[in-house]
Amino acid sequence: MLSFIGPRRRHGEVGLGLALVIPVVVIMGGLVLFPLLSTIVDSFYRINPMRPGTPFTGLANYAELMKDAAVQRSWVNTVYYVILAVVLETAGGLGVALLLNKLRHGRRWLLAAVVLPWCLPPVVNAVVWLWIYNPSYGLLNGMLQASGLTSGSVVFFNDPKLALLLVTIVHVWRMMPLTAVILLAALQSIPEELYQAAKLDGAGALKSFRLITLPLIASGLAIALSQSTVFAFNLFDEAWILAGSSLDTRTVMIQVYMLAFQNMKFSLGMALSLLAMLASLLVSLVYVLKVYRETRYD
Amino acid sequence: MSPRSLKSIGGKVGTGFAITVLLIWSLGPIYWSVVTSLTSPTDLISSTPRFWPSHVTFEHYARLFGSTSLSQGNEVQSVWPQFSAALINSLITSAVATLLTVGIAAFSAYAFVRMRFPGRDLLFVLVVATLAIPAYTVMIPLYRLMISLKLVDTYLGVSLIYVSAFLPLALWLMRSVYQAMPLSLEEAAWLDGASKLYTLVRIVMPLAAPGLIAAAIITFLNAWGQFLIPLVFSPTLATKPLTVLIPEFVGRNYVDYGLINAAGIVAIIPPVLVVLLLNRFLVSGLMAGATK
Repeated sequence: MLSFIGPRRRHGEVGLGLALVIPVVVIMGGLVLFPLLSTIVDSFYRINPMRPGTPFTGLANYAELMKDAAVQRSWVNTVYYVILAVVLETAGGLGVALLLNKLRHGRRWLLAAVVLPWCLPPVVNAVVWLWIYNPSYGLLNGMLQASGLTSGSVVFFNDPKLALLLVTIVHVWRMMPLTAVILLAALQSIPEELYQAAKLDGAGALKSFRLITLPLIASGLAIALSQSTVFAFNLFDEAWILAGSSLDTRTVMIQVYMLAFQNMKFSLGMALSLLAMLASLLVSLVYVLKVYRETRYD
Repeated sequence: MSPRSLKSIGGKVGTGFAITVLLIWSLGPIYWSVVTSLTSPTDLISSTPRFWPSHVTFEHYARLFGSTSLSQGNEVQSVWPQFSAALINSLITSAVATLLTVGIAAFSAYAFVRMRFPGRDLLFVLVVATLAIPAYTVMIPLYRLMISLKLVDTYLGVSLIYVSAFLPLALWLMRSVYQAMPLSLEEAAWLDGASKLYTLVRIVMPLAAPGLIAAAIITFLNAWGQFLIPLVFSPTLATKPLTVLIPEFVGRNYVDYGLINAAGIVAIIPPVLVVLLLNRFLVSGLMAGATK
């Protein structure tokens, strides 16, 4: 395409191209790639500033993680968060996207209101919800009592199952907008004629949703699913603000933070963060493959 | 009335109901926080929740911004020294991270789209693949690295970590923006003898402004909301941002909800302004980043 540009010019282009990406190479290489590689390597050593030396310990860190009850609990909690958050965000996000796509007037303003929770600092969200959940004077208790569902105040975070749900709700409140926006973009790319044709052929709303909408938003759905999975796997802020280091709500990321920065077991934390990353990548990959396979038109 | 018009009325009512629920879900908690921040401490601990403050008070804000203030008749120390430092830290780290990220992405994304150099595609795939790696994964070695470089608790250190975390998304976004632009304009400029760099800065970038604004907004919001990174890398008020300071208002035995909600409202002013004023760019950026 650029054949009219002489070889001398091409040569300059290589130099300029490389010059422009050098900052990317330096920053990403130095602050992501190198630390990632050293996470992998160091997870086979014992690195603890409180103890002398950094001996090679093979899989000892991983073995210790397998036995640790707190680590196991944090995995169980995280799996619960991921399943619940992904289901709620996808169902809610799809509903919101369908609603927004249907609107002719005021879509922009409703969209602004929908996106707002995603834009706010997660810490502030969590603090706001902490007050709503307050056992003595919180809004949730007030509403439950006013409606006669409960009598007396409930300390929600005393119930481990409920605590997990309440943390998830705060996370979903923040992350659902992203799913909604991604799915809205996918919905808007579907040509209107397809629906008219389906209507002429006598297809009902449900049938045209299943046969037109769902296959055509499949790639958006895969992106939304993997986004929400990765974010739920790395849930930290909401759980930390709402319940601190409590085992009932502790996530893998909180466990990593505590291992590394409170107990100074650096290499143990690195091994765990590596496992968490692999797990979230694996689940995302499963979605992408599954969604593509099930909705591909041949 | 015919069944058809009944059905359409039913549909309208259903849509209206859905919109109301959605608005309450999205804005209700924020409204509640605003109300709380304007309610006096004694009203906050009344047994029935009030949906609007019966007597509006600014005493929580006075404790954030005043030098000293009155609380239940006693003069108490305000938190202005810590609060102002954290506010400034949040602004500086977010602004530096945004400028660096968008600046680097604006130039290098163009190189990834329009220039040929060895390793171009491999490098791009590698960088974008790190989108799936949260900054948390590499935080421990990063911490040791930052200690050895003496960059812990410095603006430069925190901002650089933000850049490394948000650059892949900005690059991805800017690449899709440049890809969507017609090549003919640039070719015309090159034929007129303009250099590649001149063409990029004077012709391409102004046209890519909406994309640059979108990338800047998303980076800024991400940096402004960060918690875990500054929790580790900003231990003192030298660089500690609002997101780390606000949870510290949660005491061990007693939580001052009026104060904490007032501080939260101040912290959400920049994001709220962005949504109100720049919503168009934000949404188009999120959509482009998500679908391309």
